[in-house]
Amino acid sequence: MNRGPLVFLAAFLALAASWSGFVLAPQIQIGRQQQETNVVNTAELYPQARPGLARQGLEVYRANGCAACHTQQIGQRGTDCEVILTDAGTNPIAVAEALVNAKVGISQASGAGLAAGLPKTILCGVTAEVAKAAVNAVRPTGAKAKIEIVPRGPDIARRWGPRRTVAADYLFDYPVMLGSQRVGPDLANVGLRPPDANWHLRHLYAPRLAVKDSIMPPYRFLFERKKIAQQPSPEALPLPAELAPPPGYEIIPKPQANALVAYLLSLRCNAPLFEAPLTPAMAPSAAAPTNAPAQ
Amino acid sequence: MSPETNQPVSGAPDSRQSPAKSVTVPIWLMVLMFLLLYWGALYFDQNGAWFSAKVYAPYRTLDQVEAFQVSSGASDVFEQGKAVYNKPTCAACHQTGGQGSPGQFPPLAGSEWVNEPEPGRIIRLVLNGLQGPITVKGQSVNNVMVPWNVLSDQDIAAVLTYVRQNKEWGNNAPAVTPAQVKAVRDKIQKTHPGPFTPAELMKISPAD
Amino acid sequence: MTPSPSTSALPDAPAEAEIDSSCRLPLFVLFTGAATWVALASVFDLIASIKFHAPDFLTGCAWLTYGRVHAAAANALLYGFALQAGFGVGLRIFAQRGGARVCQPGLIALGGEIWNLGVLVGVVAILAGDSTGFESLEMPRYAALILSLAYLLIGLWTVLTLRRRREPGLAAPQWFLLAALFWFPWIYSTANLLLLAFPVRGVEQSVIAWWYSNNLTVVWLSLVGLAAIFHLLRKDAGSHARSGGCQTAAVSEADGGRGSERTALTPPLSHAMGEGGAALAGPGEGRLIGNDYRPLFAFWTLIVFGSWVGIPSTAPAPVWMPTLSTIATVLLLVPLLTVAVIVCGTLTPPPSHRMGEGGPALPGPAEGGGLPSSSSSSSSAASYPAVRFVKFGVAAWLIAGAMKIVAVLPGVSPFIQFTWFTAAQSLLNGYGFFAMTMFGAIYCMMPGVAGVDWPLPKVVRAHFWCSAIGVLLLVVPLAIGGVVQGIQLNNAEIVFMDLTKATLPYLRVSTLGNALILLGNSLLIGNLLGLSARYGWAHFVPVYRSMTRGPATMEVPS
Repeated sequence: MNRGPLVFLAAFLALAASWSGFVLAPQIQIGRQQQETNVVNTAELYPQARPGLARQGLEVYRANGCAACHTQQIGQRGTDCEVILTDAGTNPIAVAEALVNAKVGISQASGAGLAAGLPKTILCGVTAEVAKAAVNAVRPTGAKAKIEIVPRGPDIARRWGPRRTVAADYLFDYPVMLGSQRVGPDLANVGLRPPDANWHLRHLYAPRLAVKDSIMPPYRFLFERKKIAQQPSPEALPLPAELAPPPGYEIIPKPQANALVAYLLSLRCNAPLFEAPLTPAMAPSAAAPTNAPAQ
Repeated sequence: MSPETNQPVSGAPDSRQSPAKSVTVPIWLMVLMFLLLYWGALYFDQNGAWFSAKVYAPYRTLDQVEAFQVSSGASDVFEQGKAVYNKPTCAACHQTGGQGSPGQFPPLAGSEWVNEPEPGRIIRLVLNGLQGPITVKGQSVNNVMVPWNVLSDQDIAAVLTYVRQNKEWGNNAPAVTPAQVKAVRDKIQKTHPGPFTPAELMKISPAD
Repeated sequence: MTPSPSTSALPDAPAEAEIDSSCRLPLFVLFTGAATWVALASVFDLIASIKFHAPDFLTGCAWLTYGRVHAAAANALLYGFALQAGFGVGLRIFAQRGGARVCQPGLIALGGEIWNLGVLVGVVAILAGDSTGFESLEMPRYAALILSLAYLLIGLWTVLTLRRRREPGLAAPQWFLLAALFWFPWIYSTANLLLLAFPVRGVEQSVIAWWYSNNLTVVWLSLVGLAAIFHLLRKDAGSHARSGGCQTAAVSEADGGRGSERTALTPPLSHAMGEGGAALAGPGEGRLIGNDYRPLFAFWTLIVFGSWVGIPSTAPAPVWMPTLSTIATVLLLVPLLTVAVIVCGTLTPPPSHRMGEGGPALPGPAEGGGLPSSSSSSSSAASYPAVRFVKFGVAAWLIAGAMKIVAVLPGVSPFIQFTWFTAAQSLLNGYGFFAMTMFGAIYCMMPGVAGVDWPLPKVVRAHFWCSAIGVLLLVVPLAIGGVVQGIQLNNAEIVFMDLTKATLPYLRVSTLGNALILLGNSLLIGNLLGLSARYGWAHFVPVYRSMTRGPATMEVPS
C-alpha cells in the first residue's frame, strides 16, 4: 500500500466493523434493556435498583478496586431437570407402571414405594424432554409431579450462586464491575450467603480474624478509633486482644464501611429469568434489602 | 535506481542484478486462513445462537432455553397462581386459606361464584373489580373489590386456576387459560371499563 | 554542515543531522517521560505483589491498598509508558524513513509534557479513590480530557511529519504506525464517551470496556511494536546502516564523516520506498527484493481479526459475543504466523548473501562507544544489546499470541478463566513484548538523535538481562500457577482457601520478577540520565567555553 489515505481507510473500515459488532449491536440488544418480569412470579420486576446505602457502597467498592481480586459473575456448564412427585394420587401402582412404560430411565418402580415419603424426587439429572415425558406420563393416572430446573457447574457447586449471571443482573449498576481475577471468592451472590453484616465488618477490618490464612489486605481506613463515651457504642467491633484498641477506645465503622457492607449484602442474582431458567429453592424475592443499618 | 548505489557498501559481489521479484505470502498461510474462517463459520453456527439476545452459554439455541421454561404443565400453573395469590394480591383480603373475613370480604373456599363451570363472571370480577352487595354461601357482603387488570393474562389465569382447583378449600372447577382471560379483557375493555355490580354479573352468562 | 554531493540532487532534502536534531526535543521529552512512568509502574507493581505475601504491608495508607495500587500500576504502564514510548518511536520512524524534519517539535514536546501531566493526574486520582472502575480505563474524566488535549498536539503534528515525507510510498512500519495513530483516538474517545461521559446501561459497559481494552493492548500495541520491530530488524548488511537500523552516533569515531555514509545510503532508501513499500530491504543496503506482501497481509489480518478479540467466554452477555471473540482470537494465528515467517526470514539470511557480507543479517553497527564503526558489522551485531531487546520482544509477542489463542479454545478456557494465566498473558504482551521492544527502540534511536552514544554499554546489557530474566520470572510462574488454580477452581470439592494457598509459591517467584524489572527500569533511567549528561557535556560545554573565550574562537558543534 503506497498511499496514506488507503491506510487510513483500511484502519477506519476495520475499526468500524468491530465497532458495529461490539459497540453498536450490543447496545441495540442489551443496552436498552428494561426490567424483566421474573419468570416464576411475573408480577415482580427484576432487577430492582439498589437502595441508597447499597448504592453508596458500590462507590466504595469501585474506589478501592475490589474488582481487582473479586469477580461478580457466575458461570454454568449445563442445566438438568429433576422430577418430583408431589401427589401419588389414588392409584400409586398405576403411577409406577406409567413411569416404567414411559421409558424415562426408571426401570422398575413400586407403587407403595412411590406413595411413601412424598414429595419425592423420582428423576434427577435428566434433560428437559425426559422430564416432561415423565410428568406427562403420570398425569393421566391422577398423580402430580413437578419439574425443577437445576443449573450445574463448579461455581454453582461451590454455592457461589444458583444460576449463571446474565445481563439483566447488572442493569442498574454503574460502573459494572465484573472483575477478571479470582484471587478472592466470587461475590455475585454474597448477599445470599450466611455471613451477616457483623461478619463482613470484622472481615474488612481484619480479614484473618474472619478467615484464617486469608491474603486479603485489611481495610482499617474504613474504620475509626473513638474514645468510649459513657458506654460502648453498639456498633463497636468485638476484637481479640492483639487487635483491640487501647483501653478506653473502641473501633467503629465509618459510613463507608457500613455502605460497603450494605452493598455486599445487596448482591444477589438468583431470580429465575427466561434466559437463565431456574427453580428457586425459596420464594424468589426481587425486593432489595432496606436501608436499615447493619444489626 | 542508479546502479552505483545498488552495490552493498561492503563490496560483496552483486549476485542479484535480476529484476525485483515479489515475496508473496506463503500459500500454506493463505490456506490456513481459509480453513480457520471455515471453522469459524461452523463454530458460530453451532455456538453463536445466531445473534439471539436471550441465549447465554451453556445454551446454544433459543429452543434449548425455551425447553427449560418452568411455566409448562398444569402443576406449575397452580404453583404460579399460588404465588400470585399470596403475594399478597388476594390473600390480603380473602386470606391465605380463602376464608375471607365475615361481613367484610367474601370467602373463596367453597364459593359458588368461584366454582361456576365457566369462568366468564369471575374473570370479569377480577379484571374490573366489584361494587355492591354480593351473596356468597348465604352471607351477604357489601364492599368494594379493587380491579386487578394490571395483572397479566397469565397471572390472572394462574391465580383463578389456583383458586378454582384448590382441593383443600373444597373447590373443584375447571382451570382457566390465559386465552380466556384475554378474550374477556378484549370484550369488556370498551363496553364496560368500570367495576361490575353483582346484578350486572348475574345478567351475563358465565360462558361469555 | 555542508550538504554532501549526492544529496544536492534533491536540494530541498533536509540533511540527516537536521532530521536528527528536529527529533531531539520531542523524543527526549517522550522517552524520559516514558522511562519515569515505567519505573513508577514497577514500583507500584512491586508493592502490589508484596502484598500477597505480607497482606499487612503498607495498609495504614488508603492510597496504597491493593486495588488502587494495582490499577495505578497498570495505568502508569499503559498510558504513561507504553503510549508515550510508542509516540516517540513512531515519530522517529516517520521522520527517519520519510527523510523529513519533524513538524513543530516544540509543540510535540509540549504535548508530551501535557500527556505526562494527564497521566500524573490520572494516577493520583486512582490512588485517591477516584478510579472509574473500568479495567484499562481507570483514569477519570478530567485526566482523560488532559490526555486527549495532549494527543491532539502529538498526533496532529506526527501526521504532518508523515505528510512531509519525500516520496509518496509508505513502508510497512509507516502503515502500521499511521493506522495506530488513528486507532488510539477513535477507541479512546468511544470508550470515554460511552463509559464516562454518557454511560451506557448495564453489561454493555463491560462489553465496551472489553472492546476498548483489547483494541488498545492487542491491536494498538501490536501495531506500534511490530512497526518498531520491522523498522529495527531490517536487513542491512552495511555497517553504516544509518537509515533505520540501530546505529551508533560515533561522533568521536567519524571515519570520513557520517555524511558520506548517509549520502551513499539515503537516495537508495528513498527509491526503495518508492518501489512499492518494501518493508524489509534485502541484504545489502538499498537492494530491493521487490514487493513484500507479507507485512501487508500481517497488517490486514491483524486489524481485521484483532479488533474482534476481547469478549471473554465467561461474559454475562448473549453467547454470540464471546463466540465471535473466540473465533477472532483463533484467527489471530494468521498474523502471528505471518510475522513469524517474516522475522525468521530476516534473522536467517540465505547462504549466498552470508558469503558476501560475512555477517549476520541483523543491522549492524558497532555497539555504542565500543567497537569502531568502520569495520564490517559482522560480529558486533549479535551482541548489540539493543537489538537483543527487540528479538526478545518478537519472541514474547509470538508466545503471548500463542497463549491467547490456546486460552480461548473451548476445551481449555474453563481451566484458565479468572486465573493468573490471563494476567500472565497480558503481562507478557505488555511487558515482554511491547516494553522490551520500546526499550530496544530507545537504545537504538537515542544515540542517533542526540548525537552522543550511551555512556556505559555494560549498563545497557545489564538492563537487558534484568528485564529479560525479570519478565521470565514474572510470567512463567504466573502462567503455571494460573493453570493449577484453574484446575482447582473447576473442582468444587477443593475449598477456596486451599486454592489460594496453592498459588502463593508461584506468586512469590513472580514478586522476584517484579523486583528485577524494577531494577532494570531504574537502569534505563540511569542510562538516559547518562546520555543527557553526555549530550550536555558535548554541546553546552564548548558553547560555554567559547562564550567565555570570546567570539573569535567560537565553534558551533554539530
